[in-house]
Amino acid sequence: MVYSLPEEVLEHVFSFITSDKDRNVVSVVCKSWYEIERKCRRKVFIGNCYSVSPGIMIRRFPEVRSVELKGKPHFADFNLVPEGWGGYACSWIDKMSRAYPWLEEIRLKWMVVTDESLELISTSFKNYKVLVLASCEGFSTDGLSAIAANCRNLRELDLQESEVMDSSGHWLSHFPDTFTSLESLNISCLGSEVSFSALERLVARSPNLKTLRLNRAVPLGKLSTLLQQAPQLVELGTGAYLSGVRSDVYSALSKAFLGCKELKGLSGFWDVDPSYLPAFYSVCSRLTTLNLSYATIRSPDITKVISLCPNLQRLLVLDHIEDSGLNALALSCKNLQELRVFPSYLYVADANVTLTEQGLVSVSQGCSKLQSVLYFCHQMSNSALITIAKNRPNLTCFRLCIIEPRTPDYLTHEPLDIGFGAIVKHCKNLNRLSLSGLLTDRVFEYIGTHAKKLDMLSIAFAGDSDLGLHHVLSGCEILKKLEIRDCPFGDTALLANVAKLATMRSLWMSSCAVSIGACKILSRKMPMLNVEVTDENGTLDPKLDSCLVEKLYVYRTVAGPRSDMPGYIWTMDRDSANKI
Amino acid sequence: MDVTLGLLPGIPGAGDGGGGVPPGGSILTKSKNKENNHNMSIEDSSPYPVDDNDDYDDGGDLKLGLGLSIGGGLKTKEESFRILTSQDSPILKPSCSSSSSSSSSSSSSIVGTKRTAIHSVSPPNATSVVGWPPIRKAHRVSILANRNKSELEEFSSRPKTKNITNGHHLTVKVNMDGTLIGRKVDLYAHTSYETLAQTLENMFYGRWSSTEAIGSSRLLDGTSEFVLTYEDKDGDWMLVGDVPWQMFLSSVKRLRIHRNPKMQH
Repeated sequence: MVYSLPEEVLEHVFSFITSDKDRNVVSVVCKSWYEIERKCRRKVFIGNCYSVSPGIMIRRFPEVRSVELKGKPHFADFNLVPEGWGGYACSWIDKMSRAYPWLEEIRLKWMVVTDESLELISTSFKNYKVLVLASCEGFSTDGLSAIAANCRNLRELDLQESEVMDSSGHWLSHFPDTFTSLESLNISCLGSEVSFSALERLVARSPNLKTLRLNRAVPLGKLSTLLQQAPQLVELGTGAYLSGVRSDVYSALSKAFLGCKELKGLSGFWDVDPSYLPAFYSVCSRLTTLNLSYATIRSPDITKVISLCPNLQRLLVLDHIEDSGLNALALSCKNLQELRVFPSYLYVADANVTLTEQGLVSVSQGCSKLQSVLYFCHQMSNSALITIAKNRPNLTCFRLCIIEPRTPDYLTHEPLDIGFGAIVKHCKNLNRLSLSGLLTDRVFEYIGTHAKKLDMLSIAFAGDSDLGLHHVLSGCEILKKLEIRDCPFGDTALLANVAKLATMRSLWMSSCAVSIGACKILSRKMPMLNVEVTDENGTLDPKLDSCLVEKLYVYRTVAGPRSDMPGYIWTMDRDSANKI
Repeated sequence: MDVTLGLLPGIPGAGDGGGGVPPGGSILTKSKNKENNHNMSIEDSSPYPVDDNDDYDDGGDLKLGLGLSIGGGLKTKEESFRILTSQDSPILKPSCSSSSSSSSSSSSSIVGTKRTAIHSVSPPNATSVVGWPPIRKAHRVSILANRNKSELEEFSSRPKTKNITNGHHLTVKVNMDGTLIGRKVDLYAHTSYETLAQTLENMFYGRWSSTEAIGSSRLLDGTSEFVLTYEDKDGDWMLVGDVPWQMFLSSVKRLRIHRNPKMQH
C-alpha cells in the first residue's frame, strides 16, 4: 500500500526547499514527485547555457520566477575566448518573454546581451524586479534607458564588470519620478559620467536602497551628498577617491560617513589620495567587506585602515599591502574568511613592493576562519605551502598565481608538487583550486588521490605528460569544471576518461596536445557531449587526424550541437567522424 | 615507464591488475619511481595497484582500456571489454612525449600543424603570453594605468639641472672664446635654434668676424668662423642643432661659442 500525501501538501513542503541541488534530488525520487516539483519550481540555475535549450527549460518548469544563466567559459575573463564565440542571451530572453509573463529575475554571466533584449525584458514582464549582468557585453545605455523607463517595480540593477557601450548619457533620468523601489544599483563598470542630478534624485527617492556602487566618474566631492540622502546604505562603492586639497570636501565626507550606521561593505577607491582615508574611519569597526583592489595605497595608510576593521570578513587588496600589511591583517582581523591579493605590476616584481609567501603564511596562521584565498605573488616555497595547509585545513578555495610561469620553489629550486600536495591532503573540503609554478605529474597524482571534494580546477603551464591529466580525471570524483592551458596533456588521457566528461559541466583545454582525431573519437563515443574545436588561425585540416587543436571545449548537453558558432569553431559531429 | 591502462573489475575476475580499484573510469598503473623519497607528510601509497618491474621508458606501446562507463556511449558488453592498442588507430601514437628520443619520429607524423610539440617551444615568460597572469580586464587596465601614473611622477620628481628654472624660464650661461665676460640667455623664450642663434648674434655682435654680419644659419651650419656648442647633462660638449629642440632643452646646461677650428684665415 502506498501512501501519498496530497499534491498541495507536497507542494507546500517543497516550497521550503530552495537550493537547486536539493530540488534536483527531490525531482528524481519518483515520477509524481518529479511532476509536482517541476510545476512549483521557482528558480532555475543553468551553469552552461548550451547544456539545455530554452524550450526544454520552459516545458519542464512552467512557473519559474528567476533564471540564472552562464554563457562563455571562465577563461573568457582572461581573453582566451575569441570574439564572436557565442553566449547569446537573445533566444533565451525571447522565449522567456513569451513563456514567463511573471518572471521577476534574470541573472546572466559571460553572455552577450543586446539592447533589443533589454527592451524586451523591460516590456514583457509584469512584475520585473532583478537584472544582473555580470561580465556581459553587447548592450549600451540605450538598453538601460528602456529598463529604467519601463520596469516600475525594479529592485536591483547590477552591471558588475560588464562592457557597456555609452551612447546617451542620461539613461538614469529615465527612471520615472514615481519609481521608488530601488534596493541595489551597481554602475561601477560604466566608463562615462552619469547625470549626477538624476542620480541624486534617484537616491533621494529610494528609501530601500541598500547597495550603491558608483562609477569612477562620480567625484568625491559629491559623494557626501549621496550619503546624506542614503544613510541606510549597507554596501557602498565610491567613485574616484581624490579631490585635491579641499578641507570642506573632507569634513563633509567625514560627517556623511558618520551618519552611515548600517554600512558594512566598501569598494571603489580608484585614484586614492591617502589624506582622504580618515574620512571613513568611523565606519571601519562595522565593516565586513573591504575592496581596495584599485587603490595603490601603502603602509602606513593601509595598515592603519586594516587595524581599524576587527570585523572584516572579506578583504580585496593590491600587493602594495606587502608582507608587513598582511602581518597586521593577521593580528587585527580574526574573523577574516576571504583574502584576495592582486598584483600591482603585471610582469616582473616591483622592487619597491615586498610581498612574498610570508604574508600569506602569516594570514594563514593568524586568521583561523580563513576559507578562501586568491594570491598573486612572485615567489613561493613548498615549506610555505605545507605550513599554510597545516595551519588552515578549513580552506575551501585556494587559488595561487605565481606570476612567472613554471617558477620553482625559490629555496630548493624543486617543483612545487609537495606543497600543493599538502594543500589537497590537509584541506579536505577544498572545492576550488588553481595551480601555478613549476609542477610535474606528481602534483596531479596528489590531487587525484586527495582532492575528493574538488569542484573546479584550473591548471596552467604544468605537468609532464598525459598521466597528469589522467590522475585528475580518474581521481577527482565530483569534479565539474576543469580548465587547462599550455600543458602537455593530450589524446591518451582524454580518451581513457571519456565517461568522466559526461559527469562534468565542462572541460576547457587550450594550447595543449589534443589532436583532431581524438576529438572525433571522443565525439563518436559520447553523443551527449558537444566537442567544440577552435581554429582561429585557419591551419587546422579536419581530415588530418594528427593535427593539434588550439582550443577545445567539451561540455555535456541535452540540446545537441549549437548553431551559433563563428566560422572558426566546429562541433565534432559523430556522424561525420564516422565518415572520415 | 610503461604506461598500462587496465580495466575495471566491474565483473569479478575480469581485467588485469589487482582489486581495490575504485569504480568508474579506467585505471592507470605505473611503476613507482626509484627516487620516490619525498619525505613529507603525504602518504606515498597510492590506492592503485603498482607495477614494480617496468622501468620508465616513454614511447612504448600504449594500451588503452575503456572502463565501464555509467550511461556512456558503449553499447555492448563486448565493446566495453575490448582493449584498444596503439595498432588500432595511428592517431593514438604518443604525439606529445616528453623524452627526445621518440619525439623526432612522432613529430614527423604531425603534418600540417602549425604548433610544434610543447617541449620544443621556448619557455614562456609572463610578458609573452596571452591571458597571463589571469587578471580580469578591469584590474588589468587599472594596473597599467597606475603604473603609467607612477612612472610619470617618478620622472617629474627627478632632480633638476643646475640651471635656474621655475617652469617659466630656463636661463643658461653663454661664453665665447676670447671673451672674458659671459652672458645669460633664457632658452624658454625661444622656440627654435634659429631664434636662439639670432639672439646670440645680437648679444655678441661685433665680436664676429668684422667683415660680415653672420646669418644665424651660418652659426649653426658650421660655415662661419664660430661654432655654437653646449654642455649636456652628462658633461659632454656637443654641437648645437643635432637633436630636436625639446630634447635639447631637457639636456642643455650651458652654451659656448668656439672659434671654428676648421676655418683658416
